[in-house]
Amino acid sequence: MEKDQLIATDKFCIYYNVSEPFIESLISMGMIETVIVSEISYLKIPHLTQIERMIRLHDELDLTPEGIEVVHILLEKIGVLNEELMALKNRIRFYEP
Amino acid sequence: MSFVDYYQILGLQKTATDKEIKNAYRKLARKYHPDLNPDDKEAQKKFQELNEANEVLSDPEKRKKYDQYGKDWQHGEEYERARQSRSRAQESSWYSGNEGGGFSDFFESMFGSSGGYGGRQARFRGQDYKSELQLNLEDAYTSHKQTLTVNGKNIRITVPAGVENGQTIKVAGHGGPGANGGPNGDLYITFVISASDRYRRSGNDIHVKEDISLYTAVLGGELVIETLSGKVKLPVKPETQNGAVVRLKGKGFPVYKRDGEFGDLYITFNILIPTNLTDKQKELFTELSKS
Repeated sequence: MEKDQLIATDKFCIYYNVSEPFIESLISMGMIETVIVSEISYLKIPHLTQIERMIRLHDELDLTPEGIEVVHILLEKIGVLNEELMALKNRIRFYEP
Repeated sequence: MSFVDYYQILGLQKTATDKEIKNAYRKLARKYHPDLNPDDKEAQKKFQELNEANEVLSDPEKRKKYDQYGKDWQHGEEYERARQSRSRAQESSWYSGNEGGGFSDFFESMFGSSGGYGGRQARFRGQDYKSELQLNLEDAYTSHKQTLTVNGKNIRITVPAGVENGQTIKVAGHGGPGANGGPNGDLYITFVISASDRYRRSGNDIHVKEDISLYTAVLGGELVIETLSGKVKLPVKPETQNGAVVRLKGKGFPVYKRDGEFGDLYITFNILIPTNLTDKQKELFTELSKS
């Protein structure tokens, strides 16, 4: 992966004003993927949207990493269901324009 | 701009303790948090109201001011001072933007400008924006350029042929600006495609009803029909039944992101029974019925 698509984990924690142990716990639970380059841990920039959501859930709703993981799984399911719903709505539109 | 009852928003009495305020906020925030209610604008608005109420009521100084002026806030000294110093254009809308929307005009009048919800001190990547684009079926048939105005900026995008109703595309880097050298956020555009009177879409296939005369149905003939890609000559077989369906391969909707691939066009014949028959015509039909 190109280096401009990565951000060092420690820098990320500073920019986002988030504690490193919290990010480390998400990493250890496999919820965040990291890349190690020259022994430095990096986060992938395309993953930042998801990581930001995890931080918000932690900060604003006091969710633990375990709680965030549950929410994350459920939101993914909602996403799949919403896609199905839209496909079905489009099919209904075929019969009831 | 009208008075905002922060106690009512949190479902509290004016005598609520700090703990009760915190608990009420937490409980409602869990219900209306935008991350738990994706694409729900009502929940997002509600959450921003909750944040504003919490911002005021959980801060002893702000709460004191708020309680002091109450519904007479417009006559309050603080309000007057804030009003006079305000130079920006007046708008009475509550919140703008998406998750990072600011506080209401009421709040800003009373307490001055604030970063509002989502105002983390430092951030790297820019905020994502969401937008909707209305199209009709004909628009979605061909790839074309369209200009969108998002947060005051004009963005020219290519709408790819074959987009579906409700489909969302990401335009990378067209969201809010990043901080500390971080990348811009992304723009998510959801297409809302209005139904057509003539064409019905089913995935990449198009269905259309075509009226034909009884004589063409019985004796056969040729029709010129309108399709999304222009007029097409269509032979009609003799003895075509009402409701018969003909498929025109490759005359349907373009397949999204697959150049040169198209669905099919299905034509359902609707046979028109002649009306206002002359005596002679009736006679001929009677004769026909006996044969």
